[in-house]
Amino acid sequence: MRGHLLRRLPSALLVLAAASVLAFGILRLVPGDPAAVLAGPDAGPEVQAAIRDRLGLDEPLPAQYLHWIGGLLTGDLGPSYVIGGETADLIADGLGATVELTLGALLFAVLIGGTLGVLGATARRPWIRGAVRSVTTAALAVPPYVSGVLLVLLFAVLLGVLPAGGRIPLLTAPDLGVQYLLLPALCLALPSAAVLGRYLEDSLRRALAEDHVRTATAAGIAPRRILWRHALPHALPPVVTLLGIQTGHLLGGAVLVEAIFAWPGLGQLAEQALVRRDYPVVQDLLLLLVAVFVLVQLLSDLVHAWLDPRIRWE
Amino acid sequence: MTTLAPTAPAAARRPRHPYLTALATARGRTGLALVGLVVLAGLLAPLLAGHPPTDQSGLTLAPVGTPGHPLGTDDLGRDLLSRLLHGIRADLGIIAVAVPLGAVLGCLLALAAAVHPAVDTAVQRAFDLILAFPGLILALAVTAVLGPGRLPVVLVIALAEIPVFGRLLRTGILAQRSREYVTAARVGGTSGRRILTRHVLPNAADPLVVQFAVSLTVAVFLEGAMSFLGVGVRPPEPTLGAVLSQSMPHLAQAPHFAAGPLVTVTALVLGLSLVAEALNREIRR
Amino acid sequence: MTELYPSAPSAVSRRTTLRAAGGGTLLLGLGLTGCRSAVEESAAPAVADAAGPRRGGTLTVAVNSDFTPSLLFAQSNQSLQQRLIYNTLTRYDDRLEPQPELATSWEYAADGRALTLKLRTGVVFHDGRPFTADDVIFAVKNLQNPVRAAQLRATAAAVTGFEKRGDHELVLKLAHPVNNLFDLFEFMIITDPGSVEEAVAGKRLNGTGPFSLTRWSPGTGLGLKRHEKYWQPGRPYLDGVEIRVVPQADALISSLRTGQSQLSYSVPGRNLATVAGVPGLVVSEYATGGGASYLGVNTSIAPLDDKTVRQALAWAVDRERILKQVLGGYGLASATPWPKSSPAFTEAGRTHYRHDPGKARELLRSAGHTRLDLPLLHVNLPGETALAEAVQYDLQQIGVHVTLEPTDAATAQKKLISQSMPALWAMGHSFAQVQPSTLAVSAYPFNAAKNTSRFRSEEYTRIVREAWTSRATGAGANALRQRVTDTLLDEAFIIDLAIRGSVQVASRKLRGATLNKFSYLNLDDAYLAG
Repeated sequence: MRGHLLRRLPSALLVLAAASVLAFGILRLVPGDPAAVLAGPDAGPEVQAAIRDRLGLDEPLPAQYLHWIGGLLTGDLGPSYVIGGETADLIADGLGATVELTLGALLFAVLIGGTLGVLGATARRPWIRGAVRSVTTAALAVPPYVSGVLLVLLFAVLLGVLPAGGRIPLLTAPDLGVQYLLLPALCLALPSAAVLGRYLEDSLRRALAEDHVRTATAAGIAPRRILWRHALPHALPPVVTLLGIQTGHLLGGAVLVEAIFAWPGLGQLAEQALVRRDYPVVQDLLLLLVAVFVLVQLLSDLVHAWLDPRIRWE
Repeated sequence: MTTLAPTAPAAARRPRHPYLTALATARGRTGLALVGLVVLAGLLAPLLAGHPPTDQSGLTLAPVGTPGHPLGTDDLGRDLLSRLLHGIRADLGIIAVAVPLGAVLGCLLALAAAVHPAVDTAVQRAFDLILAFPGLILALAVTAVLGPGRLPVVLVIALAEIPVFGRLLRTGILAQRSREYVTAARVGGTSGRRILTRHVLPNAADPLVVQFAVSLTVAVFLEGAMSFLGVGVRPPEPTLGAVLSQSMPHLAQAPHFAAGPLVTVTALVLGLSLVAEALNREIRR
Repeated sequence: MTELYPSAPSAVSRRTTLRAAGGGTLLLGLGLTGCRSAVEESAAPAVADAAGPRRGGTLTVAVNSDFTPSLLFAQSNQSLQQRLIYNTLTRYDDRLEPQPELATSWEYAADGRALTLKLRTGVVFHDGRPFTADDVIFAVKNLQNPVRAAQLRATAAAVTGFEKRGDHELVLKLAHPVNNLFDLFEFMIITDPGSVEEAVAGKRLNGTGPFSLTRWSPGTGLGLKRHEKYWQPGRPYLDGVEIRVVPQADALISSLRTGQSQLSYSVPGRNLATVAGVPGLVVSEYATGGGASYLGVNTSIAPLDDKTVRQALAWAVDRERILKQVLGGYGLASATPWPKSSPAFTEAGRTHYRHDPGKARELLRSAGHTRLDLPLLHVNLPGETALAEAVQYDLQQIGVHVTLEPTDAATAQKKLISQSMPALWAMGHSFAQVQPSTLAVSAYPFNAAKNTSRFRSEEYTRIVREAWTSRATGAGANALRQRVTDTLLDEAFIIDLAIRGSVQVASRKLRGATLNKFSYLNLDDAYLAG
């Protein structure tokens, strides 16, 4: 396993290096720069020139790139250009919020998806299976930007039981924080829960059809015991791989959900920073997201191997 | 899995393509009917809509059932039925180009990767890179560079689909390669290209067909999300996502504004998911 | 961080408890009793009484975009905190007469080239340091620095000399007379010179204002607490202010409806109908206006170099419809940039161009055109897009076929300043709400020497200069303003469409909140009644 890790490390680093060039390059290709944003619609060209000079935007591009990478390697992300404050602080704050949201969503996805999957695979009554299928289909068919607004309308405007948007960190005030977290996490979790549920249902069905499970049923072992001891362990490995991919999706989907619920996470930060051309923040963020993705991929491979010893690394 | 197939005598007598069998199931039929209905509405938009989709009037947010405007009007007094129908048309146009484009490019890359391990590594890491870049950030950047219009929407959707198809086909090729019949063919002296096209690809294609249906739904979502971020097609052209995002500020006063595109998107995605599911079940059998 | 979320010390009402329980049942069994509800938590004022101003309580203000510290010295789209943390030298009353703030009195020299300011004594910054004339000198010099991107830099740059007479008297020497110096004093915040770099980085904002900054969390908002040594005795009444960022309009409105916030100036016009019916909320409109929407014309692109064609465009747009459908009816359809509170406002100017497609077509034909194809750039936000769509449709009716170019704000700004706009663009401008002369010297689209329309005329330059430096008052001043307005209307390089409404949505409990001309929130006298 360690050999596998070592073998994948160089290419992972290569991906990161390519991502850094891409992130830097895309930003310079996009018209409009931080100086224009800072100068505002009423200022003249001399104001923009002064700001460009102050931010070092007139330096040659390779020098700017090396300056950025140099800072990264020494652990100094520098100040943000437009948003204000230190880039590292901005990202740390956003990361905390996004991790909180993603974990909340992951919890929902596993709880809802797990329940749906087990119900769909084991329920005897056809109407339960039908209901499960309708729920998963609906969860997949309604875009998050619609379900989000509907959730706000229902819980915040009509019922008035949950806040419509914003965040109080869970660690600061757990009882209030949870109420702010509930709606966005649910909205983010719905599609992933449906995917997980379907996959688990499928996987469980096949596991239940396998010979050893049939033998166990024939031997008169209680269905619940069969489910937990025999079927689930066999059904889980592919689901865990999927969970890895879904975590990536959750992080990606957070951009939209965070915008709907005014959740000050990385997605909001990325959008704000991109729209306002805050170069260092966008670059560092994109690089961070790529790094996380690469890491999650590695981890899910490892977990997969750990859960399913039949897999051998080629 | 394949060894179990010939047990049914009917299938042996008149070999029916498994896809057709899949689509003939209740699930497949419902899905096809839903998709067909939406597609038909889009194709017939110019005939069905009583007004041009961009004609404005002083009639702001007229309710459902207003004479001449069966679905009411939007904030600028445009006919919502016409915008919905033309929106479907625009969406279909986009996804009909973008998803096949992404699928073909992804498959080509996967095939290229099958040639040599070094290419394989390069392609794999390129896929990682695309997957790792958040799609909507990519969308914002691509549109900022290219300017507004259909092209960036098509490109972003295609780009998002490339690694999905590429990875799927690669997995399929790897799995088939290790099968006994392939080994047998190789030992029998069949050329590598022939093995790939005659033996490996046809067997690896099934998941791709299912993925294609799934990707069409993803494309509908992506178009909508891009409209929400203001980087969709060029206004005032309607798309499902554009109409939906325009309706959001009026959700509380005029829910009918959002209802049309919402129901349509749901029906389209539901239909496509049912088709994908039906195909998937039949293929797995 | 704990001071941010004060637990309400007053008795928890039965309703609150019920609501909390309602929320609690949704919390997957996280415990039902003693659970605070996030919906009710921030709404409870510390003291509840109907009679007279009350000390205490925290006011939550909902905004749709965050504070940008690097724009601390510029007019940005979120300026509410300026007058909370800082003070200005003077403030305008409703008739545009300056009133004392940190400057208590002022006197012009006979030739108009010097102004003597008497400064308030006993004013201290949040860190305890006393306020002196040096702080004013720094403030003016700071705005002269182009890096600060202050829109009133031209006016600040007219101040060429400082003469200090002790700590609380100062003479400003002017290169030439300017008649918008008090616009500068309304605009310019007095900051602590020593920590200015920390301030533009958002780390430490040290001012003399009624509240001091406890926390700025980017993307979340600002936390402010009462400045105990504020120069106005007994003020402010409030213990603290929370400025909370809620970018999404629905979320912002529901935060007002549910009482999570008690004040906002960021409700979009078309959503005001929803809010107006809520019993606990009061909607009021400011006559100052919240900037103006305009259609810009690039006069260097044929056939737009022809004044007649530009005037045809001005006749073609239906301003009343734009006001009703795009701005939700709040604001003022107007062909001139001036809001009703401006001394340059005239009804004749406002209605100079009405919706008359026939006349527009006729003008177009007289210039030798029946059909034109022109691109129009706009910012890709929902409201801006709707405005551009409305303009596009109106122009199509006279044979001008417009292709929309939605663009993100950063690119649009870049193009605006680098004068690389396409034939047409639709955007907003501000600076028409103060002295009319400020518009032409501070708002780039109207700049006489260099502007996005690439419009240049010696006459316009001369009129603008005269209007800015003239010391005339009364009829003389009015005549000058009228000439500026007439030139703008006749040349039509900026075609004004509507003055956006500046609308305050506040809880019925809130009293005494006001805005200055630059949308700085003043809460000196504000309190939460029972």
